[in-house]
Amino acid sequence: MTGGMSGDLERRYRRVLRLLPGYYREQWEEDMVAAFLDTWLTGDPQADAYISQAAGPGLAEIASVVSLAGRLYLGGAGTPRRYFAWGQAVRRAVLALLLLHAMQALNVLVLTTWSRQLLGLQALTVSPLGGSSAGTWTTVLYVASFAWIAIFVTLALGHYRPAWVLAALASIIDLVALVQAQLAGRVLTPYGSWAAWVLLSLAPVLAMAAFHRDAPPTAGRPWLLALPLGYLVVFGPMLALEAAGHFWLPDIPGLCCILVALACLVRAPGAWSGRAAGSGVWSLALILLAADAAAYRIVSLIDRHDPHLFQVSMVELFVLVAAAAVVAPDAARAQAPAPAPPPHPQPG
Amino acid sequence: MTGQAFFVLTALAEGPRHGYGIVGEVDELSQGRVRLKIGSLYGVLDRLVADGLIEPDREEAHDGRLRRYYRLTRDGRGALAQEAELRAATARVVRTRLGLAGAEAAG
Repeated sequence: MTGGMSGDLERRYRRVLRLLPGYYREQWEEDMVAAFLDTWLTGDPQADAYISQAAGPGLAEIASVVSLAGRLYLGGAGTPRRYFAWGQAVRRAVLALLLLHAMQALNVLVLTTWSRQLLGLQALTVSPLGGSSAGTWTTVLYVASFAWIAIFVTLALGHYRPAWVLAALASIIDLVALVQAQLAGRVLTPYGSWAAWVLLSLAPVLAMAAFHRDAPPTAGRPWLLALPLGYLVVFGPMLALEAAGHFWLPDIPGLCCILVALACLVRAPGAWSGRAAGSGVWSLALILLAADAAAYRIVSLIDRHDPHLFQVSMVELFVLVAAAAVVAPDAARAQAPAPAPPPHPQPG
Repeated sequence: MTGQAFFVLTALAEGPRHGYGIVGEVDELSQGRVRLKIGSLYGVLDRLVADGLIEPDREEAHDGRLRRYYRLTRDGRGALAQEAELRAATARVVRTRLGLAGAEAAG
């Protein structure tokens, strides 16, 4: 129905509604269009003709549709299987990225405590009460880095909103520190540093939109256990190797590639066990993480002119892509077409 | 229950309404504090339908468009009554703690 006085206005609104998944539009579009037009049209043909030409969905209206689309595509309970799988995969990928942040923060905490005990050094080079602005800022950066532990734990325990607020704050502090360092000429690898912020900080903060009201509760305990265990398994050997000296250790992009590749290989038997369609949510999450890690690895190479690092990175990327390919078919199965959603209830 | 869902259910408590009717009623009930955009309204409506708290009532043609009316279900009425009681009890506690209940009784 695009004719009559409402034609242009209706067309503009329907264009916005194309952001919504097809199954949802099928059920609700006509209703939404009618309600939207009711908010504008007056019943006076002359006024309506003018309104139809001049008016359109405002920013707040578009934002409400975008928000609805986000909730539907990253589906919770009651959405078609494909969107539910995407929602679950994004939620798990976000938790995995936050787990990495939390492990890194734990590492800083351990190293700081260790250095204080062994060398009698102060953890922070200035007293938080000391008062120099640089010192205060350093303290803020320490607190922001440790905050990722709290963010991860808060999210794993199902407190979505506080976790999002804390993550947004920590991410903004990271951004300010990065901009400040760049302006002062202290960033040696700008591409790598920006890639780290966008892919490891900003991306999970934005993707935390998947933790909406309809999202099923997170299984908190396994994620919480993963923090100390993951730290021991990942950072324990790295600390030992570093202490032994003269041993190659991956940089952070390399570590991301290796961890995701290993996770894909661990997942592989389950992915190939031929379970029912739509079961591969973990595989889909790993594909998302692999894409994130690969992008980080590639961008970080732009400003590193080290032939050895380049060769190692190529190997890391090859292993990552190969491992991701193993779980890719299972990830595709997670999006297998679902049975048709129940028809819109009819007036009765 | 979210604030928006509470207002939408309250808007339907007196009888069936269509989408735009709900927006207007929520605006009035909340004294202009809750102005539902259409995307937000249908985000609430689809949840309430899925939860069985409201259901379509009828469709009526208006200026060449079909308006679908929604009504409360029995479960919706119960959920609304329960929520209203909870909110009223909370409000009573707040008023008591602020010392407003005694002042009102005295005044």
